[in-house]
Amino acid sequence: MNCRSEVLEVTVEARQVEEAILSLLHTILLHRSTGKFHYKKEGTYSIGTVGTVDIDCDFIDFTFVRVSSEELDRVIRKAVSEFKDALSNSGSDGMGQISLEFYQKKKSRWPFSDECIPWEVWSIKVNVVNLANEQERQICREKVGEKLGEKVINVVEVINRHEYLPKMPTQSEVDNVFDTSLKDVQPYLYKITYQITDSLGTSVSTTMRRLIKDTLAL
Amino acid sequence: MAQFDTEYQRLEASYSDSPPGEENLLMHVPEGAKSNWHHIENLDLFFQRVYNLHQKNGFTCMLLGEIFELVQLIFVVGFTVFLANCVDYDILFANKFVNHTDSSKVTLPDAFLPVNVCSARIQENVFVIFVLIISGVFWLHRLVKFIYNVCCYWEIRSFYINALKMSMSELPYATWQEVQARIVEIQKEHQICIHKKELTELDVYHRILRFKNYMVAMVNKSLLPVRFRLPVLGEYVFYTRGLKYNFELIFFWGPGSLFENEWSLKAEYKRGGNRLELADKLASRILWIGIANLLLCPVILVWQILYAFFSYTEVIKREPGSLGARCWSLYGRCYLRHFNELDHELMSRLSKGYKASSKYMNCFLSPLLTVVAKNVAFFAGSLLAVLIALTIYDEDVLAVEHVLSSITLLGVCITVCRSFIPDKHMVFCPEQLLRVILAHIHYMPDHWQGNAHRYETRDQFSQLFQYRAVFILEELLSPVVTPIILIFSLRRKSLEIIDFFRNFTVEVIGVGDTCSFAQMDIRQHGHPAWLSEGKTEASIYQQAEDGKTELSLMRFAITNPQWQPPQETTHFISQLKERIHREATGVSSETHPLSLSESEPKSLVANLLAGPSTLGSVHFGRESYLINQAAAGVGDRASALRSLSPISSSLHLRGSLNAAHRTASSHTSAMNKTMAGSGTDARTVSSGSSAWEGQLTSLVLSEYASTEMSIHALYMHELHKQQSRGDLSRHTWHRQESDESSDSIPDEVRSHNPQSRHFPRSHTFPTTVSSPTAIPASASDISSTAIGQEGVPSLGGSHQQYSESATGTCGAGGRVVRTARVPMGGWAEEGQGVARHHGPLPEESSEDEMPPHIHKIT
Repeated sequence: MNCRSEVLEVTVEARQVEEAILSLLHTILLHRSTGKFHYKKEGTYSIGTVGTVDIDCDFIDFTFVRVSSEELDRVIRKAVSEFKDALSNSGSDGMGQISLEFYQKKKSRWPFSDECIPWEVWSIKVNVVNLANEQERQICREKVGEKLGEKVINVVEVINRHEYLPKMPTQSEVDNVFDTSLKDVQPYLYKITYQITDSLGTSVSTTMRRLIKDTLAL
Repeated sequence: MAQFDTEYQRLEASYSDSPPGEENLLMHVPEGAKSNWHHIENLDLFFQRVYNLHQKNGFTCMLLGEIFELVQLIFVVGFTVFLANCVDYDILFANKFVNHTDSSKVTLPDAFLPVNVCSARIQENVFVIFVLIISGVFWLHRLVKFIYNVCCYWEIRSFYINALKMSMSELPYATWQEVQARIVEIQKEHQICIHKKELTELDVYHRILRFKNYMVAMVNKSLLPVRFRLPVLGEYVFYTRGLKYNFELIFFWGPGSLFENEWSLKAEYKRGGNRLELADKLASRILWIGIANLLLCPVILVWQILYAFFSYTEVIKREPGSLGARCWSLYGRCYLRHFNELDHELMSRLSKGYKASSKYMNCFLSPLLTVVAKNVAFFAGSLLAVLIALTIYDEDVLAVEHVLSSITLLGVCITVCRSFIPDKHMVFCPEQLLRVILAHIHYMPDHWQGNAHRYETRDQFSQLFQYRAVFILEELLSPVVTPIILIFSLRRKSLEIIDFFRNFTVEVIGVGDTCSFAQMDIRQHGHPAWLSEGKTEASIYQQAEDGKTELSLMRFAITNPQWQPPQETTHFISQLKERIHREATGVSSETHPLSLSESEPKSLVANLLAGPSTLGSVHFGRESYLINQAAAGVGDRASALRSLSPISSSLHLRGSLNAAHRTASSHTSAMNKTMAGSGTDARTVSSGSSAWEGQLTSLVLSEYASTEMSIHALYMHELHKQQSRGDLSRHTWHRQESDESSDSIPDEVRSHNPQSRHFPRSHTFPTTVSSPTAIPASASDISSTAIGQEGVPSLGGSHQQYSESATGTCGAGGRVVRTARVPMGGWAEEGQGVARHHGPLPEESSEDEMPPHIHKIT
């Protein structure tokens, strides 16, 4: 619970799904990434640089900025295309939700495993519509572009607020806060999950965990 | 996909990725995670643990206590099995002789059976094995729980020491308010909650009490099926721990419960769209859980018996009288609990009311039983006396068979009888006692006032305050009854439950989904008859009953003076506080309270503090003496109350009175600063101790807070009484499920009273109906009743009119309270009786079906 959650909703055509989601995820990640840290003696560090790239969308009238890191792009793209496939295969009414969750790890004592504690969750709810003719598609192309522009400004507004961010870590703890696996950029630790359809039942495992925890609690 | 590189490019030039030649620029110092306590994942659990550790007086105490409990459990089970199977009682009772070579004395080890015989006996006995297995599982469960808890609470311990800077040794002497203040303080530094820069006290309470608030609200709105109409016992409240556990399982955390996790309601339950489907789903889940309960019944039953055995045998052995003693029932604890009231706060409040409550219940000893008991005690006593006298003369008498046991039995018999014989010096003054009780328990149905002497009121009170023996019995019966209640009663309520959770859940940033009642927002949930007239916008469905919102709000504001409520709420609180303060000081400046009661608004506090002195009743002197007596009996807190009371404002107490008033004022104004300086002085002066400052200051302070709350509670009840005079007041106490129709009223209950036939079913305690004549007659009472009755038809529902009539009576006699002594319930019922001819009561209909706006949806 102890995390912020933001919800973005987009209504797009099937072929626009991938680009729309990519644009939003990349926008968020652009603001949640730093350059690589270089730790020096005396416990100080300097921050490397980050480049940016403008991306033009094919199916939407829209251009967005992303971090110029092919690796990061590849990871995100993979997750998004999985989501897209799942969405098209689901055969449901084309509702889905993809979440980008930033978390930090916390070392725990021996009997417990390390906890991953989310501090910010961005959920993008996607609603896929089918359009009848080319003219509608053309309108949709512009509409979605406008909408995405609004969303991006929305994202920036949220990120501009002075709210909780994990504190800058020392060298030993840097893996608990940042994803250091990429060689040219260093985003906060993140996780991308998605859900198809609306039914968000409590999974059996969470219930069981809750049951056990509750019996154990004082 | 085209791709344009902007000029913001990553510098690929240098190996080290930092700008060349600028190594010394742009250096950052990492803050690192200095503490472990920033950004805690599950704050609900965290705060609950912090609270628990505080309540258990620190880590060591908790650890030791738990270890001893585990050991005790093994001991009790082992010892019981040993006694049942491994002792040769024939030898012990000397029915069988032991062949000893050396001496003729029988030793204890002689009575033990050899190990192999013993184990064979145990193995033969299926029941014993069953019990052993269950207790073994139980014990293992406890052990695992214990280990898990030690790990968790170790963390909390280090939180106390490192973050809150409180050592475990000082924890038992720190109040929760102090701990909480420190938590609020460290939030600024550590950000344990990431949503807000600052935590408020209310946030902490919300998290700890999230589900309890829901339960309190559900009991308050009579949603839970805990009240039953039984053929012989009549109205009966059945609410046990097992039932409570099942309710919580169904609503809050069981498989497929309404809550997704600890802090949020599932999204589909927040939307009104498919409420019928959800209700069906819930109903079938309740059915399954009920069936599971039914299947597990034998296991739970054995468990329950063992549990009761382990927990109560020791107590009963130590003080057999405790079974005859009373305790606050589980239902009572739920009914009397404020929103946002922690366990220890509730318990201290109820404990303060305990003495007065048991006194009150003792007023109702049946005279028939008393006569019988007196005589049985006489005969038993004579026999006992003779036996004892003989024993004193020659102790060989003891050796005669059964003499010792008959002495013991007779002793027990006399003790039991004595409990049925009222104290010779006790005076029957239930009305005053009930008022003293109200000062502590803060809630009671309207119709109790003025009817305290009636048996029905007593019966209802006993639902809140039951015999411990009954409590244990109910717990034992619970495994059998629970599935029945779940399957037949709760299941029918599923739609109402779904509606309840949808309508009364609000999402608070930084806290999650909470019960909206717990926000204590007068505007949303205020009850017009409880001072929030004009401020509330709540429909009847939304209003909390019994003034719960208002009283909870006052209590929370008083106990947490640092809390900054929203604007409107602050207004409400300060208005009320000022009113009370003004009246209290106004009265105290006068030596004679009666002279003041002529000016209407000032008289209220005087009335409630002076009690019956302004009632103008015939028994003026005696009663006012008695209320002081009664108040004194309640304990030291009462002395504080009394020091605020104008009665005792006689000159020699003036000093302490002033001090107490200063206390009150410092509560209202200066408490925002840490208690220091004059505030402390005033308090210590009035409490009469000088050396206890320092760490006990806050204790003293909280004591005064509870006193202040008592006064507020009495005041609000008094005001409510005046306000709702003749109002169509609604008795939550007795609102029944809609589907039971009026034919189930046992007529014999009210057959003595022809009037009562007309009353709607919702008031199943027809006591109040009764007639003014039941009230100790005094001329003034009757006259005021007359005025009131004339009023009824013309009043017809408007508050303004009521208040006019109220002022009218006041003007006439200057005795406001007398009119208030007219039984409120009676008024209400008559009013409703009239209303009923025209159709169902408005709130009944909305209650029974669904909130108004739902109608549109369906």
